Amino acid sequence: MLKILIPTLMLIPTTWLTPKSWVWTTTTAQSLAIALLSLTWLKWTSETGWSTSGPYMATDPLSTPLLVLTCWLLPLMILASQNHISPEPINRQRSYITLLILLQTFLIMAFGATEIIMFYIMFEATLIPTLIIITRWGNQTERLNAGTYFLFYTLAGSLPLLVALLMTQKDMGTLSMLIIQHTKPTNLLSWGDKIWWVGCLLAFLVKMPLYGVHLWLPKAHVEAPIAGSMVLAAVLLKLGGYGMMRITIMLDPLTKELAYPFIILALWGIIMTGSICLRQTDLKSLIAYSSVSHMGLVAGGILIQTPWGFTGAIILMIAHGLVSSALFCLANTNYERTHSRTLLLTRGLQMILPLMATWWFIANLANLALPPLPNLMGELAIITSLFSWSPWTIVSTGLGTLITAGYSLYMFLMTQRGPTPLHTISLHPSHTREHLLMAMHLIPVLLLVLKPELMWGVCH
Amino acid sequence: WFLAWMGLEINTMAIIPLMAQQHHPRATEATTKYFLTQATAAAMILFASTMNAWTMGDWNINQISHPLATTTVTLALALKIGLAPMHFWLPEVLQGLNLTTGLVLSTWQKLAPFALILQISQNTNPALLTTLGVTSALVGGWGGLNQTQLRKLLAYSSIAHLGWMIIILQFMPALTLLNLTIYITMTSTMFLSLKIMASTKINSLALAWPKTPTLTTLIMLSLLSLGGLPPLTGFMPKWLILQELAKQDLPITATIMAMSALLSLFFYLR
Repeated sequence: MLKILIPTLMLIPTTWLTPKSWVWTTTTAQSLAIALLSLTWLKWTSETGWSTSGPYMATDPLSTPLLVLTCWLLPLMILASQNHISPEPINRQRSYITLLILLQTFLIMAFGATEIIMFYIMFEATLIPTLIIITRWGNQTERLNAGTYFLFYTLAGSLPLLVALLMTQKDMGTLSMLIIQHTKPTNLLSWGDKIWWVGCLLAFLVKMPLYGVHLWLPKAHVEAPIAGSMVLAAVLLKLGGYGMMRITIMLDPLTKELAYPFIILALWGIIMTGSICLRQTDLKSLIAYSSVSHMGLVAGGILIQTPWGFTGAIILMIAHGLVSSALFCLANTNYERTHSRTLLLTRGLQMILPLMATWWFIANLANLALPPLPNLMGELAIITSLFSWSPWTIVSTGLGTLITAGYSLYMFLMTQRGPTPLHTISLHPSHTREHLLMAMHLIPVLLLVLKPELMWGVCH
Repeated sequence: WFLAWMGLEINTMAIIPLMAQQHHPRATEATTKYFLTQATAAAMILFASTMNAWTMGDWNINQISHPLATTTVTLALALKIGLAPMHFWLPEVLQGLNLTTGLVLSTWQKLAPFALILQISQNTNPALLTTLGVTSALVGGWGGLNQTQLRKLLAYSSIAHLGWMIIILQFMPALTLLNLTIYITMTSTMFLSLKIMASTKINSLALAWPKTPTLTTLIMLSLLSLGGLPPLTGFMPKWLILQELAKQDLPITATIMAMSALLSLFFYLR
């Protein structure tokens, strides 16, 4: 674990000491090297499930795919930010990259944590760089409001979690994940225990986000700069899912009855947010709501606590992370050219930017879960396990799949096909950097079709 | 007790001329208010200790055991440091002072009463302390929400932090000391940075970025730390206090305190 953490921390002196014209190149190259190094974690050799352990951090098949996703995304974030940051003075560029690196360090420590309190502290710690990125480098005046919503929704959910964790530490004597998986199930019957259960889960449900408490997400995504959107969509949402999966180990057997309202909210949210997507005019907002929709499916899969549900949740999280980030990058290419996110202004791009249209095509197909892409694997696993839990869920999940297909195709057709408006003819052609960015997002998705065992996690 | 009272009176007397340095009517008004409140509190302390000596025959500070005496002394000391519901003097007094004197008021002046509070901590009424603590945290949070004057903001933040310190007094006085120390450090940072930038309102803070970007980053970090966000140091006392409260099976109190920290955070963020 230290092999990855120390080079990531050393990226900070790198950004501040390299001469001005080499900053972006060196940071991208070094973070790419770290990402490739993190791929060695995927080799699962240990029997107990936990490997590469240190005193406080370890990896297991649940956290490894998310860790690799995080490390993979850092060079992509730096690549994506290059264009819109370049007019700023060099020290501000350096502080931006430093913030991204700090966020990365906290994320690695969060995913690798074995003590739940350490996970909690890192979970909260990721809020600060994200908040600074959104409020300082966002594009519109609403970004302050977005930052406040973001911070307060997440904190209001996670402070009860802190109290709940401290109560657990008093009762069980430890909060190490290695030990908790072997303790006897606790007898949880009273009202106070039910409130404790809600306290544990609420933070992660807000982060996921669950449909009722999802208001911070579209605001935060729309106002954030591209790297902020990428990391928010791809990784920070998965922190919520990962936390939920870790916490539910100790929450049995209450979860069977208490999870009903949240599962219903999640399923209803899939349909509602999907329908909102169909009527959106703002491209980034569309992608943000599609994130909520997919995460609703993940939340449903985790809350029913079946092996296939968990597996589907992890696969969908990884696949959604890559694809959602890819879609945000594509939206950003549009934004950088026209400085507007309105869908109507960037129509008919296939005529002008044909190669980018290919990437749009693949990303949208992945979003609507085309076989054999991993998005479908995840969705199918979750839908099947939800069906076996209760046959009525097929109504909402089936409808949700249909609506997802609807808005993904809508997004594709609106941006690519159709008559080209006259004002877009003079747009810049695509940079190689942008093509590289999209390729690096989508090639892992395609490769994961060939070996999905890398993502399957604990339950196979 | 007699010597303690004398010490507190001398402390008050010494700081009065310091506060009245500026010949501004608001400064004079603030000085008068401060003098009145502190004198009242000191008189109450004398009264309570005399009552204790009369009924129990004991002048020792840590053996003040008559229940009425302990309650009176606790309330008097609370008035001295500005805990709710005896906090009403603090924002206005702080507003009337310039930043350096305000710094002294918030940090150094708290040390003496706290020394006394720590010494009587075994005998105090737990319900009283909990009420004082929770009320202070909530009042500090809500009162600061509508403020634009930085000194009043810091006054309300002081009230909230004092609430946190008091609530753990009954279980682990060492944590009270830790919280006090960290709070003094953070508040000194805030006051001194505000003095360097010579700003007293939120509007003037907004213009600080072009002047001294490093200092502004420092201010932001120290504000977030005052708010108690991990992984900054300000989180540590809050975490330990919540842990101690949880160990004592007081989850509801812990949750209320945690939520009121959110209120304070909101006005720090502005």
